[in-house]
Parts: sequence; C-alpha cells; structure tokens
Amino acid sequence: MQRLQVFKGTFYSLDAVQRQLLIGSAVAAGGILLAYIVHKRRQVKSIPLGEGWWGAGEKPLSEDDTIYPFKVQTSDKEIKDIHERIDRTRYTDPLEDSCFQYGFNSTYLKKVVSYWRNEFDWKKQVAVLNKFQHFKTKIEGLDVHFIHVRPPHRENQKVLPLMLVHGWPGSFYEFYKILPLLTENHDGVVFEVICPSIPGYGFSEAPHKQGFDSLAAARIFLTLMERLGFSKFYLQGGDWGSLITTNMAQMKPQCVKGLHLNMFISTKGFKVMFSLMIGPYLPFLVGFSREDVRRLFPFFEKNVWDILRETGYMHIQATKPDTAGCGVNDSPVGLAAYLLEKFSSWTDLRNRDLVDGGLERKFSLDDLLTNVMIYWTTGSIVSSMRFYKENFKSNPDNRVDAKTGIFVPTGLAAFPGELMHCPKTWAQIRYRNIYSYTFMPRGGHFAAFEEPQLLANDIVQFVKKVEEF
Amino acid sequence: MLTEVLVALLVGGLLYFLVQRSRTQVLRTEDGWWGAGAPPDGGEDITIRPFTVSTSAEELEDLYRRIDQTRPVPSLEDSHFTYGFNSQCLHTVLSYWRNGFDWRRQVDRLNQYPHFKTTIEGIDIHYLHVKPKTVPEGSTALPLIMVHGWPGSFYEFYGLIPLLTEPSDPSHLVFEVVCPSIPGYGFSEAPHKKGFDSVCAAHIFHKLMKRLGFQQFYAHGGDWGWLVTTNMAQLEPRSVRGLHVNFAPPSNPGLPITLSIMLGRRFPKLFGFTDLDIERLFPCMEKLVVESIKESGYMHIQATKPDTVGRGLNDSPAGLAAYILEKFSTWTSRDFRDLEDGGLTRKFSLDDLLTNVMIYWTSGCIVSSMRFYKENFGKGLYAPHSKIPVDVPTGFACFPNELMHTPKLWLKQKYRNLVAFTPMARGGHFAAMEEPQLMAEDIQNFTKIVEKKAL
Repeated sequence: MQRLQVFKGTFYSLDAVQRQLLIGSAVAAGGILLAYIVHKRRQVKSIPLGEGWWGAGEKPLSEDDTIYPFKVQTSDKEIKDIHERIDRTRYTDPLEDSCFQYGFNSTYLKKVVSYWRNEFDWKKQVAVLNKFQHFKTKIEGLDVHFIHVRPPHRENQKVLPLMLVHGWPGSFYEFYKILPLLTENHDGVVFEVICPSIPGYGFSEAPHKQGFDSLAAARIFLTLMERLGFSKFYLQGGDWGSLITTNMAQMKPQCVKGLHLNMFISTKGFKVMFSLMIGPYLPFLVGFSREDVRRLFPFFEKNVWDILRETGYMHIQATKPDTAGCGVNDSPVGLAAYLLEKFSSWTDLRNRDLVDGGLERKFSLDDLLTNVMIYWTTGSIVSSMRFYKENFKSNPDNRVDAKTGIFVPTGLAAFPGELMHCPKTWAQIRYRNIYSYTFMPRGGHFAAFEEPQLLANDIVQFVKKVEEF
Repeated sequence: MLTEVLVALLVGGLLYFLVQRSRTQVLRTEDGWWGAGAPPDGGEDITIRPFTVSTSAEELEDLYRRIDQTRPVPSLEDSHFTYGFNSQCLHTVLSYWRNGFDWRRQVDRLNQYPHFKTTIEGIDIHYLHVKPKTVPEGSTALPLIMVHGWPGSFYEFYGLIPLLTEPSDPSHLVFEVVCPSIPGYGFSEAPHKKGFDSVCAAHIFHKLMKRLGFQQFYAHGGDWGWLVTTNMAQLEPRSVRGLHVNFAPPSNPGLPITLSIMLGRRFPKLFGFTDLDIERLFPCMEKLVVESIKESGYMHIQATKPDTVGRGLNDSPAGLAAYILEKFSTWTSRDFRDLEDGGLTRKFSLDDLLTNVMIYWTSGCIVSSMRFYKENFGKGLYAPHSKIPVDVPTGFACFPNELMHTPKLWLKQKYRNLVAFTPMARGGHFAAMEEPQLMAEDIQNFTKIVEKKAL
C-alpha cells in the first residue's frame, strides 16, 4: 500500500514529457513481450536426435557405410520346410456359427492354407519382389533393408524424394501397388521412392539391445536419407510408419518438405473430452463436420468397446512379445492366422461377422500370403512384436515427442474403415501446419495396400499444395 | 398424525430393505447342450466309463520332430523374463523335453489314480475319482470336488490328493476326491457351441456329483476353479457343504472396497488391513493398475481372439511350452521376471511342468481352453453371478505371492459366511502344486470348522 503511494507520488511529480516517455516505454515493453510470446508459439520446435547402437556385443570403432545391392532369394529347402509344416498343422474346429468373432475361423483358414500349399508360387512371388531394386546398408550397427524406386522418365520434371514407411503386420510389400502410381508423371510432379523395412521387420536386421523405439527408427531413417544424398524430402506413413515419420519430422523439420499420414491419433486433453461431450448435439460448435459425427458416434460403442475388442494383440505384444511370438515362428498356419486376422478386421470391422472374414474382397491371396512369407522366411515375428513393448514401456504420453508439436506441412487422409477416427480439430492440437485433410470415400487401415489409387491421388494433391502448383 | 405415518413408512422401508438383503439369492441356470449339431431324440447316455491316459510311438515321434524343428529367436541382451519367456531358458527346457523327459513314465504316473469319462449335456467329461483306502471307524470319507484353472489341469492336484485321501495324521479328516477337467481342457471334450461359461461348467459339475451319488460335498478351487466352484455354491447352496478357495478377485467393487482403496493406507485398522495387505495393495496405481496391465496381455487377447492366438501354439511344442510355462514362472513370484531362468525350477520340477504342458499338447486343447476367457468376459464384467453373494461356509487360503491379493474385507463383500481366512506362509498362484502340504493343512482346518458347526 505504501509502495503504491510512493509510486503515485513519483509519477505525478514528473512533467508531461517524462510521463509520456514512461507510458510509451511501458507499452513498448508490453508489445515486445507479446510479440515474443506469439513468436515462440509459432516457432518450429524440434525434438533431440539422440543416438544409439543396436548391434550385438560392443560397438566397434568405425562403421561400414557402404550401400550394398540385395536380392530376395529362396530355395527348394525353404519351400519344402514350409510345406511339411503346413501338412502337419493340427486344426481345432471352430464353434458353430462363430464366424470371425473368436478370431480367425478355422474352416476358412483351411481354404487359405490349401491355396498356400498347392497353388501359391513363392518363387514367382520372389521374382515379383525383386522387380524393384533392393539394398542394404549398416546404420547404428544394424543392416537396414530398403527398396529404391526411381521414376522411369526424369526429363523436364520435378523429381521429389519420398519415403514410405510401413507398419505391423505389414511390410514394404504393402506399397508395391502404389509405387507405379507414384513414379509416373502427375502434371510435372513425380516421386523417387524409398521404402525401408523397420529394423526387426522383414529383411532389416533386428536390434540386439533393448530400447529400440520409434525415435530410434526415425533417426536411422533420417541417416538413411542423408546417406542416399537427399537433403529435403517428403514422408508418408500409416500404423507404426505414421509415428516414425512424425518423429522424423519432429527431429529434422528443416529436411521434411511435407508429411502425409493415413493414420493419426490425437492426444487426450480437455479439448478432446469437451468435443466428445458436446459433439453429438452441437457439432459445429466444436469444429466437427457431419462426416466426423457419423464416424465418431456413438463414441463408446464405436471406439471404446471396439478398441478393447481389437487390442488384445497390442496388449500382449507390448508386455510379453517373446512369449507371444514363439509359437507363431514355428507354425506357418499359426502365423498366417495371426497376421491375416488383422487384414480382415482392420479393413472393415463388419468382417468379423462373415464366415470368410471378407478377406478376399479387397486383397488377393497371393498378396496376403507374400506379406506373411516375408515374416516367415525372415523369422522376424518376435522382433516385430518387440517394437510394441519398446514404444509402450513408459507412458507414451510422457515421451518427448508426445509433448512436441509437428510444424512441417502435413496432409492427412482419413479413411472410413480406420480403427479410430480423428477429426481435423483434434489433429490440429499436435499437427500445427495442416495443408490438407481429406475424408476418403472408402478404405481401411491398410490404405496403400487396399486403395492405392485413392491414396496416391491424395498424396499428389497434398504435395502439389506444398510445392504451390 | 403425519409424523406417525412418516415414521411408519421409514421403519417399513428399512425393514423391507433389510429383509431383501438377507434373503438368500440363488443363481439360476438352464440345461445346456454342447455337443455337435442338435441333441439326439432319445435320452442321454449316462454311463460312467473308465478311462486310461495312453500314448504311442507316433505321438512321441511327432513331438520330437516338431521340437527339433523349432526356429528359436534369441532374447534381447539382459532382458531375462521381462519380454516374456527367455530364449536361453527355453533352450534348456526343450533340450530336457527332447532328451531327458520320459512321457511314458509320466503317463503311468497320471494313471496311478482312476480316471473316468461320462457324457453330460452332450460332451464327454473327464475326471479322477480317488477313494481313500482306509476310513477310520465310525466315520465316512467327505466328498470333495477340486477344480483347476488355466493354464493348469487336474495334474496340479497330484501332490495334494494323497494328503487328503491318506492323511498321515490320524486326527485328520479323510476325503474322497473328484477332480474333473473343465470342458475344453485336457481330456474333457470341448463344447461345440458358443456361450459355455463358468456357470455352465458349474451346472455340469453339479450333475456329475449327483451322478456319482453325492448329495452334499465340499468344493475347492483356484484360478477358474475358484469361479466354477463359487458358481456351484451359488447355484445349489444346499449341495455345497463348504467352499475353499485360494484365489478370489473382487467382481463387484462396491462402496466398502472403494473406500478402503482410498483411505486404507491412512486408516488400515478401520478396514482390518494387515501389514501384508498394505504391502500388496499400496501404492494402488502401481500395485493394482500397472501390475495388472503388465500381466494381463494374455487375458486380453484370449478374451477377444482365442482362435487366433491358440492356432500357432497347437502346432509348436516350443511355443506352447513358452506360453504356458511363462505363467508358472511369473505367477509363482513376480521377482522371477528378473531372473535369467525365470526361477522355473525353484518350486517345480521340469517333469511336473512338462507333464502339464503335455496334457495340453496331446489333447490339442489350447484353443478351447482359451475360449473360456472369451465366454466369461464376453458379456462384459457384470454377469448375473457377480452380483449374487455366497452364503455357504467359505474358507480362504491367502498365499503371499498370489496374482491378485484379496484382503478379508473384500472377500466378505461376496462371501458372507467366511469361517476361515488363513494368511499362508509362502506360495503363489499355483498353490496346490507348489505347496501341497500347506494347502492340505488349510483344507483340513477349514473342513473341521465347518463339520463342528454343523453338529
């Protein structure tokens, strides 16, 4: 109180000019502070790169960074082994009328396996796999596998580098249909595509040390792009690929021209909770479009129960991957049932009520089994499952990447069959620079595999926006 | 005048409320049909057929070939059992299984007790029926049904049975023991229809006991066996003379339980919490929630996609062993997760562990055993039986390393006639197999209390 009196006294004792100066500088200071706050909020933040080494034993002094060409191979012995194991499968009859509600239906599984045993031609599929160029290179102690697809006609075009990252239980093979669409000319825009395999998946060596999470994978892929000579590039991903490419954009935003995702989740928070309560009644008030409402509600049923019903695999893989993967690494039929169940349910949840799981409606058995064979021949199912534990070890909401936004130009493709719908307003909480958000007309979780044309179109329109075409 | 009416209403309401609470609620169920197709026109075959466990050279050869073809994946450096079953330990187990384990000798061991099968509601029910050789003058053997859980089997009780049917102490009571296999487990046929939950199993076991001529009997169970025997006590309280369990997670958290979680650490005496209770329950988030999440992945996937997860395990003996034995490690003591060998042989012999695994392997029942989770959790957690209390005399053996710790207060919410609550000196989830002596003693003490009360 007394201080205020003193203050007042001093103030009134000044003359007019001095008073104006004082007020002026106070306003100026306030203005500068405000500008600083606004600038800080808009400023592109990044997360630390970190470092790691994942090879067996101790780290050597230097690492070989050559890029070696690689060819997928098979042998008669490998095929004979798988046939013998298939012949020795011990089936269990499904419960009457259970369709796909208890998991992969055994009766339909027998049909799939019969095709696999008698008609599926792995040697032919290996030739299909080899139609693109494969390579391997050592990064942080692991052999990282990738395919490198250059567009056939490069003259008079802008060739944009693009990395596509797969997820679980997929592989680089999911992109085989979309690759020809991306390497052809789209009014002057064409892509040069890199599709790596996440370490622990397919032909990429599995980490030998604990702790290999999406941040480690992101850093390794950034090193890969650098090693290939790309300083600025686009990224696209779904499933784990979505998290890894997001991390890449957070680590080196100056390198990522644009980030395109077909799967994205929001953080929880007051905004999300509030919009869940108000959304069904006053959608426009919380930024929901009619399509958002249709895909989100009834929330509990569509999202909570279904997620609980579909995340058993995630729970066991995030806690006991070595146990869960052990049996399926010996049993090809067990592996097929485990992986293909996802291609059924995650494409459309209604497939659970079909006797054949609706599997062949969107995918061919050849394509599905080729993906399974990549897991089988490399024996990578256990290491692929460990990725879940590494990422969920600590509370994912407390990790540095969950607390940092994404500032690079982002394009989001919302597919209707995706496991959980995320409206634009929720995505904006983290993705601060959304250039495009598209409600896709059809398609589920395995978007690139199932609707390559739709996805390619959306990637192209997003990139054109970024390149200002 | 008005006050009189109001008081009358209040008193009336209170009386009504109290009467409602004390009225014994009984669980109801109907006969089911679990066989393939439609039930036959004539009556059901109720004969009891003796059964012998058998094996063959083909069976062993097939097993060995599959073990030889295991494609092992090395565990991450220094991960012990934290990522699941350690590859080094699995190698040791498989090596013994292939070269040292004698299945034929174990089959003889299994056949030392008489086995039977009988058809109930369309499926073959397997059980052991062990009669005591001698019964003291002037008394009869007390019938006792013991029900196993997952991933166990009737074999878990093999150490316990002789202590109950031929106790060394002459003052001990003598039991006549029936150990069935839950349908879908071991040598009991698996249901062919959807919907076979613990109440259906309880109903079938009641029919079994009646078919064997027992009007009243004792029941003991752990894991799923706890729920099946509890349901038996809820379905026909007059038949169940006493219920003894070693595992009883609360199914309906009501006000007393919630309050005890919130205030229990501050005011333990108020809720009757012992030092062990405090140690096992608090801090709540870590001990109850986080630990449960860490260990319930199997439950989550089995309760949603049993056919998928079981599929590979039925082809791969290594996979089956890893899946099942991981539980015998972690559920015996959580500290075993940090051991390279999972502490597997500290409390159990490899012979016993592998015999249990062989029961799942030779019968090919892993998928049907997992379906029981979906049937029981499929309707959500609030099935009718979870709301009905249990009024038959109950005894609880509280083992210190049990998966879910249940203090006395929580038990009493459901088991209103708790006559014995024994904190046990040591032991985990597979208590009957791990500490048969302690378990036998507690069953004896509990039964003596009930028999005395009945006089």
